[in-house]
Amino acid sequence: MLTLEEGFKAFTGGVLESLLRKTTDKLWKSLSFGIVSTSIMQSSSLVSVITISFLSAGLIPLAAGVGIIFGSNLGTTTGAWLVAGFGLKVKISAYAMPMLVFGVILIFQKGKGLKGCGYILGGLGFLFLGIHHMKEGFEAFKDTIDLTAYAVEGYPGVFLFAVIGLMATVVMQSSHATLVLIITALSVQQITYENALALAIGANIGTTVTAIIGSLGSNVDGRRLACAHLIFNLVTAIVAIGFIYQLTDAVDRVSEWCGIAPDNYSLKLAVFHSLFNGLGILLMLPFMKSMVRFLQRVMKPRQRTVAQSRFLNKAAIDLSDTAIEASKRETMHLYDHAARIIAGGLGLRLEDVLSQQPLDKVIATARAPIRFDIDEKYEAIIKGLYSEIVRFISQAQSSLSPQQSDELFALRAAGRDILEAVKDTKHLQKNLAHYVLDPNQEIRREYNRIRVALASVLRKLEQVRKQGNDSTAVLSLDALKVAMKEYDHELDARMNTLIREDRISASMSISLMKDSGYAYDITKNLVRMAEALFSTGEIRTREAERSISLDEAEVDELLQESRVATESQNNEHS
Amino acid sequence: MSIRKLLKKAKSFLSSEERKRKEKRKFLERVIKKLKKHEKNLVERVKSEHDKNNQSKIKEEIALTHAQRKKGLKMLKKL
Repeated sequence: MLTLEEGFKAFTGGVLESLLRKTTDKLWKSLSFGIVSTSIMQSSSLVSVITISFLSAGLIPLAAGVGIIFGSNLGTTTGAWLVAGFGLKVKISAYAMPMLVFGVILIFQKGKGLKGCGYILGGLGFLFLGIHHMKEGFEAFKDTIDLTAYAVEGYPGVFLFAVIGLMATVVMQSSHATLVLIITALSVQQITYENALALAIGANIGTTVTAIIGSLGSNVDGRRLACAHLIFNLVTAIVAIGFIYQLTDAVDRVSEWCGIAPDNYSLKLAVFHSLFNGLGILLMLPFMKSMVRFLQRVMKPRQRTVAQSRFLNKAAIDLSDTAIEASKRETMHLYDHAARIIAGGLGLRLEDVLSQQPLDKVIATARAPIRFDIDEKYEAIIKGLYSEIVRFISQAQSSLSPQQSDELFALRAAGRDILEAVKDTKHLQKNLAHYVLDPNQEIRREYNRIRVALASVLRKLEQVRKQGNDSTAVLSLDALKVAMKEYDHELDARMNTLIREDRISASMSISLMKDSGYAYDITKNLVRMAEALFSTGEIRTREAERSISLDEAEVDELLQESRVATESQNNEHS
Repeated sequence: MSIRKLLKKAKSFLSSEERKRKEKRKFLERVIKKLKKHEKNLVERVKSEHDKNNQSKIKEEIALTHAQRKKGLKMLKKL
């Protein structure tokens, strides 16, 4: 089972994740996704762990996650059908060895896809071999030991064997493995049919342990999902135990209808497994919304300090695309804090900066002395959050393709740019706080220009972020580079006049020069960050966008061209 | 199709470098197409805009988009 999981994980680099994203917007879709994916992968544990990591990364809502888990419970029953219908009739051990040989050869290949195929082949090989040996084993001591002698009848037996099934699944961490064991034991009549049913019910509860362990490292939504999984399986088990005799009758009727022989207990167990899980879904589906609401009410997010990450969780590290998405969202979260700090450093409220008001007006009304402590915020929020992102990215990098590694590298660099922008704002704030209240009107005006320029950068970034799907929006960020260069050029000219006409002192001009440099760096860092963070298309589209965006020399060239054009236009007019 | 042609096709299909190059081209072309459409829209907008200030802003954006498109086309030629 472990090898099979490993194999499917190799293919989760995009395919499963993009499928999951597209197929979970409606309840019936998420249910079907759970059924189909678990039937294919033959592991409800893998599907539930992937779902938890998706939920923790904020990619799907809790209701969709619960739908998948419900579906995966039904999907996992196909395993019983396969083993009972195919595994015991055909001599599958004949296929096991070739599968294992080719599987092992493929595992040693370099390509991720081939390696994944190797793990799947190996996993199936081991499974087939295991079924064969278990059957042989049970048959070997059939004549000497009769396990049916330990069979317990009635309700005590049901409870006892349900507990045994639960324990076995907890130890093996796979309900599928327990079911294989139950079916093979049943096929050689080492356990009674009634006790086998109870074992299957127990295995169904035991399988939630993997999801619970997987949710430990995740956020509150992951834990809510694991809890929903437990509630579903517990309720289903209680109902199945309560109505076990009615269910057995129903199984007999369904089996008769399907043409299954009355003494074919293995297939009848598969029918029972599907029937009671289907019944569970029918029973729980009407209460799904209330269950989600109940879980949201009961399991509250832990009170966290602002510096704690929201989207990074251990479960996402092994799933490449989810790891990238989680890192991206966390870096976005980091930027949200940084934008507030930068606005605060300029003596402005972020809400005002991002509002529809003209920025001149926003600046004109913000005349209070700037007392915003950037250092404190940097230490309390930015530093801690960024170090968590860096740690997560370093851990996730081991299992990625070169392209995905580049993407993560770009995100880490984006985080560093945010950090730099905050630090530069801190340096800028020292003089800005002083000069925006200076009696000299000229220097006040210049520093307010810096505030307007940086506030417009924050505003533009927000606009681009809102329409991140469009390549032209992300590329329009280059306009900020041009604007900043232009501002620098104009400031140079203005400063010459101001000094010449003695309207500002030499020390003021030095501060202004230094601080306009900081403003330029803040813009540069934020634009570079936004190029990596705000484009949301495919990785290759993002790469193409990045390659087209203008570098510093090209921006200079563009400015030069526009100046020449303006001059010639002016000459024509005069 | 001659065997030589078939072999050539198979070789280019199997060569990862060639595949990567083609893929890069495809995505670059897509972005350039979007930029072209955007530039066209901006040109239409500047014609209907009466405010001088807004007009010059749109013109700046046109120049920028044009420069990006030119850069993209240059890269496309190299690929």
